[in-house]
Amino acid sequence: MTNKTSKSSKGQKPAGATEMAFYAKHEKIYPRKVTGIFAFWRASGVFVLLGLYYAVPWLSWDGRQAVLLDLPARKFYIFGLTLWPQDFFYVTALMIIAALSLFFFTAVAGRLWCGYACPQTVWTEAFLWIERQIEGDRLKQMKRDQAPWTLNKLLVKGSKHAVWIVFALYTGFTFVGYFTPIKGLWEKLLVWDMGGWEAFWIFFYSFATWGNAGFMREQVCIYMCPYARFQSAMFDKDTLIISYDEKRGEPRGSRKKNTDPKEKGLGDCIDCTMCVQVCPTGIDIRNGLQYQCIACAACVDVCDQVMDKMGYPKGLVRYTTEHALQGGKTHILRPRLFVYAGLLLTVMGILVYSMATRIPLELDVIRDRIALYQENDQGLIENVYLLKVMNLDTHERKYELSVSGIPDLQLDTGGKSIVVQPGEVIELPVRLAADPTDLKKRSTEVEFHLQAVGSDKLKVNETARFLGPVSR
Amino acid sequence: MQTPKIQRVIAIMWPSFLMAGAATILFFTAFDPQALLMDTRFADLSRLGAYTIGFFLFWALTAASCLLTCYFQRPCAFRGEPEKQA
Ligand code: SF4
Ligand code: SF4
Repeated sequence: MTNKTSKSSKGQKPAGATEMAFYAKHEKIYPRKVTGIFAFWRASGVFVLLGLYYAVPWLSWDGRQAVLLDLPARKFYIFGLTLWPQDFFYVTALMIIAALSLFFFTAVAGRLWCGYACPQTVWTEAFLWIERQIEGDRLKQMKRDQAPWTLNKLLVKGSKHAVWIVFALYTGFTFVGYFTPIKGLWEKLLVWDMGGWEAFWIFFYSFATWGNAGFMREQVCIYMCPYARFQSAMFDKDTLIISYDEKRGEPRGSRKKNTDPKEKGLGDCIDCTMCVQVCPTGIDIRNGLQYQCIACAACVDVCDQVMDKMGYPKGLVRYTTEHALQGGKTHILRPRLFVYAGLLLTVMGILVYSMATRIPLELDVIRDRIALYQENDQGLIENVYLLKVMNLDTHERKYELSVSGIPDLQLDTGGKSIVVQPGEVIELPVRLAADPTDLKKRSTEVEFHLQAVGSDKLKVNETARFLGPVSR
Repeated sequence: MQTPKIQRVIAIMWPSFLMAGAATILFFTAFDPQALLMDTRFADLSRLGAYTIGFFLFWALTAASCLLTCYFQRPCAFRGEPEKQA
């Protein structure tokens, strides 16, 4: 944004050059470790989210895995709920809700998602933590990378990758455990007897984790993330952003502690470049709001510590809004939010309503296409249909079938009772017979009623055509 | 400015990956692979296997389309301009 700030400090290329270099060739970024309130929140986020990710597939519900998107069996279990391919609508609605919530939160709080909750951030943080435990902090890492290969370097790098790979493999295993029963998968893993496809996906996902969190890191955010590209469309001047207070900080410059900056004609920024060193995406927040900034607030934490040391007030880099920075007021309630919130509530309402009124039973009626109709030995006109009954409920169900549409319509199901196991479809050939004098038209509408025994609400109706000669 | 190689690779492999994922979900929500493959040589293929192969077929297709997009995106010579040898 501002250009006068690009006359950067020691050991740093001017912003333009950095940018060029950045586009031409990727430079490895060594984010320095940060502590502070936002680092604490981020660590908590990582902890909670990773904890959930690894724990949830092991939960049980009703004697089965609580959350299981059982692809091999084509049904999704989410606690008490069972979804079938027919219920695709719910999944779509859930995804729309997720997207709208993201819009809403982005408008209010900027890239909160990026900094604290995005899987890319979360796993990168975990990988960075492992890296620091083994390789040491930023300076040590940089030195080691520049140094020639020695046995020690090999050992350090080797053990880092070993830990990364084990962690990634367990991540991949857990991922597959969401799609096929995890307990069985674990048992098979122990004796190395997984299906080839399961094994393939475990490795595929592990490899992606290792690559994205170990190597790609901020490049995922910059080049691959669609959200990063369009998030600015949800921004306005009242959105929470992380910003450097230029008015207060400039002109920047180093100084001794206890010198009066005003005397030297300096602002509050002591140009220590700590905010640049901690930044996981390698930008200088002092150049203004940049697309690469994932709003992780690492620079806020570190700058506050610097200000503390200098005895200056905190908040040279802080969460703020553009309006506030310009000395105005931040409006929290604004039309944009009402629009997002309205849309969100509407879709949620639709989802809840349709979930509440969902009937876990499906009936399809297919007419026999070979014979239009037949006359039986009692002189009645017969039509043959194939019924498909699908029980989408979680228990076995027994159903009663009836028909209407023509007076004295006779139904013949072959005397079998209709019992369907949960998740099963049965095919049931049925025969309808009607007196030809009751048929006023060549084709009459009839209706099948399927009613579950013991539940009033569990019923569906399906119409079909009954064909016959027109009585004269 | 030349786009970095990594960005060009990502521009082909990544959108196609996302779309292949979406296509796989839509396709296999509508069709059960076991029903589709019932009377073919692949009747023994597990559902997971069918999903996987389906996904990679979709990916190959969408990646090819991304590749063509990237290819045609390169500036071409104007009318009357002699062709430059790359
Ligand atoms: S930019 Fe995208 S990938 Fe990066 S942290 Fe934000 S949401 Fe995640
Ligand atoms: S500029 Fe600050 S908030 Fe933005 S990514 Fe870098 S450290 Fe995080």
